Amino acid sequence: MSDTTHSDAVFRPKPSLPPPPNTVGVVGWLRKNLFGGPIDTIFTVVGIWLIGTLLVTVYQYGIANAVWEANSYRECLDTVLPNGEKVGHSGACWAGVAVWMNQYIYGRYPDPEQWRVQLCLAILVLWLMPFWLPRVTAKIQTGLSAVLTFPFLAAHILLGGEAGSFLMLTSSLALALFVTVWLNVITSYAMNKSVGKLVVELTGMADKDDRLHKWVLLAGFAVVFLGALAYESSWDLVAVPTTDWGGLFLTLCISGIAIASAIPSGVILALGRRSKMPVIRVFCTMWIELFRSVPLITILFMAVTMMPLFLPVELNPDKLVMVIVAVCIFASAYMAEIVRGGLQAIPKGQYEAAQALGLNYWKVTTFIVMPQALKLMIPNIVGNFIGLLKDTTLVSIIGLYDILLMAKASGQDPNWLGLHAEPMLFAAGVFFIICFAMSKYSQHLERTIAGGYGRR
Amino acid sequence: MAVIEKGGSSSGSSGKSALAFINDERFRSVFYQLLVGAIVLVAGYYLYANTAANLDARGMEVGFGFLGSTAGFSIAWSLIPYTPGDTYFHVFLVGIGNTLLVAAIAILTSTFLGFVMGVLRLSKNWLIRNIAAWYVEILRNTPLLLQILFWFLTVFALLPSPRQSLEPMTGFVLNNRGFYFPSPQPGDLFFLTAGAFVIGIVGAFILSKWATKRLFDTGQKTPVFPISLGLIFGFPLVVFLVTGAPLAFDLPTLQGFNFVGGGSVPPAFCALLLALTIYHSCFMAEAVRAGILSVSHGQTEASYSLGLKPSWTLRLVIIPQAMRAVVPPMISNWMNVVKNSSLAIAIGFPDLVAVFMQTSLNQSGHAIEIVAMVMLFYMTVSLSISLALNQYNKSVQLKER
Amino acid sequence: MKKVNLLGLGAGLLAALSFTPEPVMAQESTLDIVKSRGILRCQVGTPAPGFYSLSDDGKWSGFDVENCRAVSAAIFGDPDKIEYQSVTSAVRFTAMANGESDMLSRTTTWTLFRDTQLGLDFTTVNFYDGQGFMVNKDLGLTSALELKGATVCVLTGTTTELNLTDYARTNDLGITPVVFEDSNVRDSTFFSGGCDAVTNDKSGLASIRAKAPDQTIFEILPETISKEPLGPVVRQNDSQWNDIVMWSVFAMVNAEELGMSSSNVDDMKANSANPEVKRMLGVEGDLNTGLGLGPDWAYNIIKMVGNYGENYEEYMGAKTVMNIPRKGSVNDLWTRGGLMYSPPFR
Repeated sequence: MSDTTHSDAVFRPKPSLPPPPNTVGVVGWLRKNLFGGPIDTIFTVVGIWLIGTLLVTVYQYGIANAVWEANSYRECLDTVLPNGEKVGHSGACWAGVAVWMNQYIYGRYPDPEQWRVQLCLAILVLWLMPFWLPRVTAKIQTGLSAVLTFPFLAAHILLGGEAGSFLMLTSSLALALFVTVWLNVITSYAMNKSVGKLVVELTGMADKDDRLHKWVLLAGFAVVFLGALAYESSWDLVAVPTTDWGGLFLTLCISGIAIASAIPSGVILALGRRSKMPVIRVFCTMWIELFRSVPLITILFMAVTMMPLFLPVELNPDKLVMVIVAVCIFASAYMAEIVRGGLQAIPKGQYEAAQALGLNYWKVTTFIVMPQALKLMIPNIVGNFIGLLKDTTLVSIIGLYDILLMAKASGQDPNWLGLHAEPMLFAAGVFFIICFAMSKYSQHLERTIAGGYGRR
Repeated sequence: MAVIEKGGSSSGSSGKSALAFINDERFRSVFYQLLVGAIVLVAGYYLYANTAANLDARGMEVGFGFLGSTAGFSIAWSLIPYTPGDTYFHVFLVGIGNTLLVAAIAILTSTFLGFVMGVLRLSKNWLIRNIAAWYVEILRNTPLLLQILFWFLTVFALLPSPRQSLEPMTGFVLNNRGFYFPSPQPGDLFFLTAGAFVIGIVGAFILSKWATKRLFDTGQKTPVFPISLGLIFGFPLVVFLVTGAPLAFDLPTLQGFNFVGGGSVPPAFCALLLALTIYHSCFMAEAVRAGILSVSHGQTEASYSLGLKPSWTLRLVIIPQAMRAVVPPMISNWMNVVKNSSLAIAIGFPDLVAVFMQTSLNQSGHAIEIVAMVMLFYMTVSLSISLALNQYNKSVQLKER
Repeated sequence: MKKVNLLGLGAGLLAALSFTPEPVMAQESTLDIVKSRGILRCQVGTPAPGFYSLSDDGKWSGFDVENCRAVSAAIFGDPDKIEYQSVTSAVRFTAMANGESDMLSRTTTWTLFRDTQLGLDFTTVNFYDGQGFMVNKDLGLTSALELKGATVCVLTGTTTELNLTDYARTNDLGITPVVFEDSNVRDSTFFSGGCDAVTNDKSGLASIRAKAPDQTIFEILPETISKEPLGPVVRQNDSQWNDIVMWSVFAMVNAEELGMSSSNVDDMKANSANPEVKRMLGVEGDLNTGLGLGPDWAYNIIKMVGNYGENYEEYMGAKTVMNIPRKGSVNDLWTRGGLMYSPPFR
């Protein structure tokens, strides 16, 4: 055992062999993922066959034999294919869908007024945009203001006509909040400070007491509010009764209002159900269990057949309003369970620590528990919204002209008599796009939130 | 807690001393409850007064007397025998029978299909995994109502007319009027076979309890599965043969427009079942997938290191833990199946909502009573399902202290 | 701060609830309500070709829609001051009873039960219909009595469903009804052979056939198994409003009988020597006062909406998808052997 022999025996690894050719590249991927064994191979073959048949069918019906231009359904049916046969039911009649498209989306909302619907959508998107802008603060306040006041602004814009004093005040408040939110966004990006801070600085109160700041800000907001009020009073919009609302717009309207109202009412119900006070707990539990356990269709039937009996005749409630109330009740019960789930996920230590700091019930709930729970609940809320959006199609059964009933109506138009499958497929496509996008987004959120917890 | 409350309020500004009792938790609790109770009572009275006045003004009467009068319309298909001369209450029962039947079968099939799809979504095969994923994504993101219509129309378009019926096996006929099958006509001694079946199930249950005890006491395993199989199916079969096979079959035969005899379900039933199964299987699949993924890989590794075989690992370690995450969404999914079966109305399957809340309500005009009865039924079913499964859920839940 | 708010809120709510007056049924007449609202709320059904259909620009039109327009023309002198409420047949009467709609004009069959037990009044009949069956010619049927054991597609929530049951029971046919909520689904089912026959009012059968990919393979069986007098409906206990709706329909029928149409009514008003024409158009007498309408109410209807025959041709006639011949049918004028008969305008 000498040093020299030792140095001769230094370990020199041979260069590694290339991986076996059937485990890399295309072949390797195929072997690993598609043809891993006899059963796998059978699965793959069956899968390819399934997809192939499906795609061919869809292509034949939706594209190859489809009719894109025609003036009536009869024309669609009688169009002659290159092989000499009539199209009949072998191809889709997209021409009818194209003609009726405007109705599927806006219902009977008059054409020259449809910009109002678009405006509302634009306002909502802009209002929620600060959520995705990293430098903007006060995200929770922004979200709350949108959820709580946007419906009034939208109602004012969409209904038009003479707004009552309540709607006038609430919608002006909404507009003022919207303006404030965007002022905040602009100052945040332009000057890197929130609008509140800027106002305080401009009025030269920066070195004064916090209490004074509040008054300054309130006064500032009052100015914006009065401006909004004056502006809205000058509006001269044609009245569009709710019987003219319809299509996808109505679907989104009902489900949007329902989900917006469900968040606060769900929180209240969930807190009530967890309350230590028996009376409140019993009422909340009863409400939740009652409306969670019956189908939405029965609640809708209740809304149109029984609700008018419950209310005084002078109130003369609008059918859409009653349906929206019904969907809101339904959604609140579901949301309550989601919130309860979120609250249960908050460790008991959080409550105890907060109480140890001397915070009372409302402070613990508002500042400690809810913010954490809400964050956890966001994916479920989005999921709930998807479910609600799909369930909203049931309003067609009681005769509200949502996208589904509009689709049915188009098949009864003397020109398009018999157009049936195509509008349904179109509606299915629209729902799929919206719901799929939201579900992907909620999955993304779920990952981000989980990531947030992981890093801690 | 009360101490903390006091501490909190004493640091507040002065001038509240006169209102000190407001900060007394007990007082506040009683006050809030009284307030809520009062609001609910007043609101309830308000609604009641309105309803009474409205009913009066419209000359409508409330009462369940109408349940005894003749309904006078036909029902396309019912589990419980029905003729147009029967009463509204009978219609209610017929509706319940149909709803429960379709919901029960849909729960079983969707759960099964959901498990399959959930497992396929985790398959190693890229194609299968993706097909399963798209299956779930497409079908759960389109409204069920549209899917029911789709299946209904497709089923009709694909199935042949009665004269060209498909008959894969003698007595089993499929055409666009429905699915026909031989209906069993039990003989006099058939009850013995049925009794044997019940005894078999009870026996198998006792056996499994005993086997578990034996396993814990002595460490020896008992082949529970084959013995149970024998008890549940073999034993009744023996009894059946010994008593002389007292069971005849009534076969459907083509007569006039359609098949008569045997049992049958209408295409609307098949379409509804298909749609409910497929739609809800997506949610089940998601629950199963999430459940399996929720069991951390460390569990598998730990159980391997204890020397458990992969099959045992799956059965004894992974699945019990996955079930804990699968069961709660499964509960709500099952409840949804029951509720969504009410969409049958769109394709003319006579479920409870269709025959009772639609046709009967239309004929009799008793909206309040009918809607209340229907809601009560759904509540009872949903609450029983959730109660039963919550009980199970409690028994498998992690015991944290 | 929070507590005080909550207390205030609760107290406010309590006060608001306790001070709400006992609900009372509005005593105002429907005419006053409609006039002060400035718009007529008229209920039609979910689109049905011929009677009320929605066009791709969102306009309602059809035979029953003309009743709404006639009433609007009579009250406002403008046939389009209407808010159309399209309601499914299942909830149509509820919407009327609730006060949601002022009148209902949608293929609703006049029956004793509906007239007496739903808080509604039927005004008059504007279309006589009857239920029939349509089958595929391949079956080679000549009579509905041959439908023994057949499967029949039918719409729910209508008298059609009950008539079918009655007919099947009377003739011991053992028919299996397949009930639908949506007429599109019913029709697709029928076309693809899901039922042996489809039953509906005969006018409706015509529109079903118009939807079929191949119209020639279906035939309507000769039997009419029911009487379906269809007409506008109003709420009970408002006889003035009942009169307005009823006489608006009569005005259209009578106009046809007197030879007045939208094109010649101006001429008739100026030149006609017929005293009934003069009374009707408000040139002579004060027939309008009892109705609480202006003197030219009937003139407005005829000028803006047309007479009965014009509307029939426009929505049911040979040029439409419905293609229901009128000559000599029950819907022709009584002078030509039909049942359309207006009481005298006197």
